[in-house]
Amino acid sequence: MQDVTATRHCRWDADQGRLCLQGHWTLAHLAAIDADLKALPLPVERPLTIDGSALVRLDSVAANRLLSHLQGLGVDPAGLAWIGFGARERELITLVAERRGACAAIPLPHHGLRRMLGWHVFELGRNTVSMLAFVGRVAAALGELVRRPTRLRLRELTVQLEMVGLRAIPLIIMMNWLIGVVFAYLLGIQVQKFGANVFVVDGVGLAITRELAPLITAVLVAGRSGAAFTAHLGAMRVNQEIDAIAVLGLSPWQVLVLPRLLALLVVLPLLTALGDVAGILGAALVADWHLGVTPTTFFERLQERLPLATALFGLSKAPVFALVIGLIACHNGMTVARDARSVGLATTATVVHSIVMVILIDAAFAVAYPEIK
Amino acid sequence: MNTGPQPRVGCPPDDQATAAVVEVVEVRTRLAGRWIHDGVSFTIPRGQVVALIGGSGTGKTVLLRQLVGLDRPTAGTVRLFGVDLAAATPVQLNALRQRFGLLFQDGALFSNLTVAENVAAPIIERHRLPKPLLCEVVGLKLGLVGLSAEAAGKRPSELSGGMRKRAGLARALALEPELLFLDEPTAGLDPIGAREFDRMLRTLADSLGLTVLVVTHDLDTLYELPDRVIVLYEGRVIADGSVQEVARQPHEWLRSYFSTRK
Repeated sequence: MQDVTATRHCRWDADQGRLCLQGHWTLAHLAAIDADLKALPLPVERPLTIDGSALVRLDSVAANRLLSHLQGLGVDPAGLAWIGFGARERELITLVAERRGACAAIPLPHHGLRRMLGWHVFELGRNTVSMLAFVGRVAAALGELVRRPTRLRLRELTVQLEMVGLRAIPLIIMMNWLIGVVFAYLLGIQVQKFGANVFVVDGVGLAITRELAPLITAVLVAGRSGAAFTAHLGAMRVNQEIDAIAVLGLSPWQVLVLPRLLALLVVLPLLTALGDVAGILGAALVADWHLGVTPTTFFERLQERLPLATALFGLSKAPVFALVIGLIACHNGMTVARDARSVGLATTATVVHSIVMVILIDAAFAVAYPEIK
Repeated sequence: MNTGPQPRVGCPPDDQATAAVVEVVEVRTRLAGRWIHDGVSFTIPRGQVVALIGGSGTGKTVLLRQLVGLDRPTAGTVRLFGVDLAAATPVQLNALRQRFGLLFQDGALFSNLTVAENVAAPIIERHRLPKPLLCEVVGLKLGLVGLSAEAAGKRPSELSGGMRKRAGLARALALEPELLFLDEPTAGLDPIGAREFDRMLRTLADSLGLTVLVVTHDLDTLYELPDRVIVLYEGRVIADGSVQEVARQPHEWLRSYFSTRK
């Protein structure tokens, strides 16, 4: 009588000590092969014969599974007898037996909570250190520029002035105008309740020049130009263009970073002033149409109630915002790792960080100078 | 109880085992107002390792892109495993793509994944495997191309050019292809690394029974790797045979090409 255990992919003949492989031993059937192998009562102590005569196909991963399974059972690979295999299959098994040890089972990384948390903490630390180093380098480059003003890259500066400033004008005007309209409308509903329609001018003038226009403009520029700086510098770095600039004996800080920073510093206050005007025009329109405050009354009262200091205070925040946006954007661009994924991550980080910083700084200004009306 | 051999379903029948794996018939390609290919024809039987050479701009890479179905020729037919790529349905194309692998020139590894994840990616897409088995498969593939466990956890940007190519090859081999396309596998490698890569390819091709088409510029590769060399020149095949036969051809371009090797 025969003592035979058979599954779909293999068959164990205990009398002859023979393991017959059958059917498709391929990647597509790997899970089934694994289960079938585990179902067989293979002995460890006896010499085994492996019979491949019933195989349809054998590929490397299936051969590897067989060898791993036998190894896991503690079978001596030297004591195996292979029969019924074609020349190609023997070669395949030899190759797999040779190479499989080199890299055994690779643990695929876990993305656990602890790991992620740790990674982010270290990343924050690394980022802070590299940002400080970057600020230092920019300061050094700026010092050099002050000593030798001819080093200024006028062409690049002009290009950046156009990209950051001129081309942003329609967007800045439209958005600030819209904010002015909405704010005057909502405020108008409140002041109307007290029949104090003309007070809308006081509120609108203060809110727009002191808070809304600087903030909205800075957020728009952070999203627009900050992202552009990071993506552009990052792609240049991936493409080794920044290295090429350095090798040509030029300073990437003079050629790339300073023109962008200076352009932003010059342009953001101007855009903010434009935003002030657009916002107030939007508010004046609503005041006339909704509250019956004529433009003449509106502007006369505005002149009376809005001190110049308030408008200047709002404008004075713009260079600070510009500096923060420019530094974050250029730093993230200059320090991306050299692959496609990093450029995307760095651009996202620029937009998020610079907007967060802009709002934090704005809050600090509000707390520090409450007396300016 | 099923004890006998199973019927050979989904497997190339025996009569196809010797038939052509790659067939290129009278391919003509017009790009930017110029005929890149002007009637290119050749066939590659199963198990053969073939090198495709030609000067820059002779459309080797374009032909390779047509062979893997990324581009289409202007006229002519490209068949893989007997299936006409232009007439194939998306389902057929998808099935075909499991049967061949492509090693891109720079590896084209996914930069957001580690090397191990890169190799695992095509397997996860096609097969449901428990994690221990998946890890074992990935480990084998990396072992086959000679990468260490240390390299497996790294991202492509942290690897050297040679290791990136090996990782790309491991990914190309992930789905156990029968046919392998290689675009300039030794470009950018040092001569020692390049010869090692050639020998590894030869071993893999022989042991795994692969059919291989390699596009190359590397003269040393020609003497090391392929069974047969096909030469493209001005849109046509001007020579086809073993490297010794091709080197003996009197054609001017071939003479200057082979004379670069002392």
